[in-house]
Amino acid sequence: MAHHKKNRNVGIIGIGQTKHSSHREDVNQPELIHEAVRLALQDANLTMKDIDCVVHGNMELFEMVHQPDLWHVLGTGAYGKDCIRITTGGTVGATLSCASDNLAASGMYDIVMAIGFEKLQEGHTTGGITNMADPLWFRKIQAGALTGSSAYDVEREFGLERANRASLTYRIIMDKHACLNPNAHRAFGLEFSQIDDLIRTSPKLVGELKLIEMCSQSDGACCVIFACEQKAKELAPTPVWIRDHITVHREETFNIFGYDRTVPVIKTHKFAAEQLFRRNGIKDPINYFDVFEMYDPATWWAIDWLRDFFALPGDEHLKLVENKEIMIGGRMPINPSGGVIGSNPIGATALIRVAEAALQVRGNAGPHQIPTPVRHALASGFGGTMWTVMTMLENELNW
Amino acid sequence: MDKRLAVCAVAQIKNHPNYHYLRFQNMLLECFEPILEQTKATFDMETGIRTIITCSDDVFDARTISDNGITDVVGAHFRGEEKIAQESINGLGYAMACILSGHDDVILFMGHCKESQGESRRMVSNLAYDPFYCRPLGMDYHNVAALQARTYMEKSQVTDEQMAKIVVRSRKNGAKNPYGRENKIVDEDEVLNSPLYSDPLRELHLYPVTDWAFGMLLCSEVRAEEFTTNPVWITGYGSCMDRYFIGDRDLASNFSLKNAAQRAYAMAGIKYPREEIQIFELGDQAAYQLPLWAEGVGIADEGQGGKWLDEGGMETFNVNLSGGQLNGNPLLLGGAARVIECYYQLSHQAGERQVKNVKRAVAQAATGGAGQHQAVIVMEAQGG
Amino acid sequence: MAEYWGVTVADIFNSMPERFRPEGARDVAAVFGYDIKDEGKWQLTVKNNSMALEKTDDLSCCVATMAADGETFVGVNVGKVDATNAFMSGKFRIEGDMVAFGKTGRLFRKFVLAGKGMTTREYLADMFATIVPRFKAEEAEGLDASFAFALGGADGGQWSVFIKDKACTVTTTIEGKPTVTLEFNDARDYVDFILGKIDAQSILAAGKAAAKGDINMMASKWPLLFEKYKDPLGGNVKEQELLTLKKTISINQRFATGPVMGKFLRGLKDKKIYANKCPQCGRLQLPPREVCAECRVRAADFVEVGPKGEVRYMDVVYYAMPDPLTGVARETPYGSINIRLDGCKGNETLPHFIRKDQIEKIQMGWNEMQGTRVRPVWEENRSGDIWDIKYFEIDE
Repeated sequence: MAHHKKNRNVGIIGIGQTKHSSHREDVNQPELIHEAVRLALQDANLTMKDIDCVVHGNMELFEMVHQPDLWHVLGTGAYGKDCIRITTGGTVGATLSCASDNLAASGMYDIVMAIGFEKLQEGHTTGGITNMADPLWFRKIQAGALTGSSAYDVEREFGLERANRASLTYRIIMDKHACLNPNAHRAFGLEFSQIDDLIRTSPKLVGELKLIEMCSQSDGACCVIFACEQKAKELAPTPVWIRDHITVHREETFNIFGYDRTVPVIKTHKFAAEQLFRRNGIKDPINYFDVFEMYDPATWWAIDWLRDFFALPGDEHLKLVENKEIMIGGRMPINPSGGVIGSNPIGATALIRVAEAALQVRGNAGPHQIPTPVRHALASGFGGTMWTVMTMLENELNW
Repeated sequence: MDKRLAVCAVAQIKNHPNYHYLRFQNMLLECFEPILEQTKATFDMETGIRTIITCSDDVFDARTISDNGITDVVGAHFRGEEKIAQESINGLGYAMACILSGHDDVILFMGHCKESQGESRRMVSNLAYDPFYCRPLGMDYHNVAALQARTYMEKSQVTDEQMAKIVVRSRKNGAKNPYGRENKIVDEDEVLNSPLYSDPLRELHLYPVTDWAFGMLLCSEVRAEEFTTNPVWITGYGSCMDRYFIGDRDLASNFSLKNAAQRAYAMAGIKYPREEIQIFELGDQAAYQLPLWAEGVGIADEGQGGKWLDEGGMETFNVNLSGGQLNGNPLLLGGAARVIECYYQLSHQAGERQVKNVKRAVAQAATGGAGQHQAVIVMEAQGG
Repeated sequence: MAEYWGVTVADIFNSMPERFRPEGARDVAAVFGYDIKDEGKWQLTVKNNSMALEKTDDLSCCVATMAADGETFVGVNVGKVDATNAFMSGKFRIEGDMVAFGKTGRLFRKFVLAGKGMTTREYLADMFATIVPRFKAEEAEGLDASFAFALGGADGGQWSVFIKDKACTVTTTIEGKPTVTLEFNDARDYVDFILGKIDAQSILAAGKAAAKGDINMMASKWPLLFEKYKDPLGGNVKEQELLTLKKTISINQRFATGPVMGKFLRGLKDKKIYANKCPQCGRLQLPPREVCAECRVRAADFVEVGPKGEVRYMDVVYYAMPDPLTGVARETPYGSINIRLDGCKGNETLPHFIRKDQIEKIQMGWNEMQGTRVRPVWEENRSGDIWDIKYFEIDE
């Protein structure tokens, strides 16, 4: 894939997140956004005066507010600024990051602020997601973002017991990470000794997919400030550089669930990862990256996708989980933040992945900081009908 | 490094009151095929279209993430697609960023809106207001426009008769546009006597319910010759957001438009818009907005809109020869329609609307009630 | 001792032993210090998967010491203050080995705000004692139901709440067959849930509680029948009442089918299932789409497929999904199947439902293995809708 040298490099210089939770009746939408904006400005030691362009994103039908950036100006501080409103699916937060990178790299703007937000309690999330489906037929059949198909996949290949245990191991690792992240919505204090109990008692949603394995629905906002190279070096002690990003969508029909492996189907995560790594000359991603903030809407998807993202052979992806190599301090830490399973304000979720990856590179993530140096971080987004966005973040400009 | 963006080809379907026999997927496909035909662009990962920018709106489409329903008909299967859920004019601004950043060099830009699908577009724009205060008061884009109209007519001495003339002219111009919505040709009396919607705005002062889709192929300076012999250049873009509450704004001040225009002019190196620009396509969702926005982009003097109309400002500056949004484009796509008209004029494909010796054109469009968010695009002819 | 959010610095330290997580201490052997301004100094020793805490005047032997004021320290622990921000703004400092101190985050479960001055037992007594006064008789028109509560743990107990003839009674046993039973492994979680400190979804997800019987009755009716429980201790601080605005928003739509979907839906009216075929790669699409996404060309040729086929995949759905078009929750469990209709190949499948009573009997296909053969069951009066096929059933 052709890869052009960017006009200007872009670095992340400010990060702000609200505490994510199931209930934020104490604030309205602009107020919730304002919390994240204020924190990001504080973090970057800037004021709103320094911002040239504001990029806003969420999903309109979740709160049923049309063109929400107009009302949200009360919280975004975008008065008098250039503004773009961009939206995709669950990927929207990642798209905000890609867009901000493009805007700042273009020379049109020096400092760009991205704001992703969702107040999921203000709507019916599963209903909202089902509204994705074609109103003529599939809307009557779909069950939101719930499917047991990945569980079935893993189970067919590795047996039910191993699959279930890997899934719950992943879940508990995420919980242990969430317990270290003061912003996480769900942090239960689960223990590995509970695996068998949870397999037995957690209510089933669809097939083998259990409630404990599915992401939450949260209220929250995330704000990230991007700056062109010159400004980033002037303003930030440790800017986090965006090396590259890629977006891959696919058609809306789910003909991938035919379960005929004799007719292989390419998956977007795999395709995107291959393209991105090839054009950046990365031959051994699992060793190249020091942390991966993965958009993990459910444990089953997460353990299955590890294989796609890192092109792992056989059962290497399961071993990573089983051997707890994905924990903070392990060989390939995944989601020190606790991931999407821990917090999921959908419009912000994929931007939180970028923000959390950047915090790790910067080295001040707080209690969930990886203790060893983090030079290269990867963040992914997922949404729509199996769409992928990937972003590479680095501590040095050396490519 | 690149400073401008090439528009290599455009395609559109006719603006129509109700495409009851087409899904928006069909509407887009009618634009997708001609673009590929005209330009021979491919989707090759090395040399082809890797990024598609779309413009649509979930509430109008009545679908969460409505772009997932169009991935295939815009060619985005296993390619990147990003959706601008705002006035489409900002899609061009964003496409410019994608190309000038070096991240992309060829972009397909597609948009659709079926205003006829929902029971009422006023119910849609009512949802743009906060649920606590403005929404229960019944605010929507139409009656907020009426507040702005009253304020502005007072300030710049614009009369009901002048507004009627604007509508009559729009319909005449629209009739010369092969893609224009087919409307009844009306006279001033008919406008003055059409039903009152929100005082002072009458039915004919407001753009009609319309369905439409478009496509454009955009690329970097170096790639343009592969796709066209006659590119048109986008050389400037700027946008600006005003305050939200109506009571916090001076509705006739053009705060956000003046900023957006200045930013676009600065980027394009325009010092004297009145001398340097020959075509102005302005976002007239309602008749009163033409002189108001004309003040905002600097071709009419502040507070002199009425006088400017009387002195033939609309003809002097070639304003909305396409018929404008007032003749019929769906909400959010007006900006793309304005840009497309500028493209036709600058590439000498405007047929009987063609203006001689055009070098530069400006397109403008607004998102939100009473032009809360404004954006301006500056375009140049090849060799301009 | 100053209080912040109803908690003192001593509360945080005193609860450390019971919040300690030995598995978080596996690789930790160190002495940590806490220097809380105007409150005192504490020394935490961690080794051999155990801990010891003591008040001290000398923190010189600590590998790392955290220094903060009382408000920040309590705030971070009760989740009211963002630790990262407090750290970055210098509200708390780590002196010594920062990486080592980072490990203390794993040593403890979160501090949960417990009602000061009221035990779990006292709360439960108060909660059930106020049931009758909080009962809203006007909401109980025609209702005859019983709600049972089985709350475990040392402070737990059993209660039943009966609603009949617009009257409400409470007993401290569970008898007969309640309409719905709420079981909590630990009564403390129930108290936190009622006080709004944890949400039902989280408790259920973590397997800490279960609801049996008519769950909807508990989820949607209970909140209407009773005024919200007010925390007697919340009375000291006058909290602002949080208002929420409930609205149902809908805008009627007329969805066009277009020629391609139209052909498919019209076909159903005539008991025919049409796929369309890509002229380039030959793949079939169900339902038909305007183009083949892979080849980016129109797929204009229609092919009749099925109506019988085999189940390639089935999702058994237990989650009561509201139909977004009607708002009515679907009856669970149901079987959502992907069917490869006769004439289709590979992954060319159509999603639909299986007859409710046949979920158990379905074999899924896998690679060359064939799944259960099924046939459509058609509606008598068909209108050109996906529901013209009621469901698929086993083809016997």
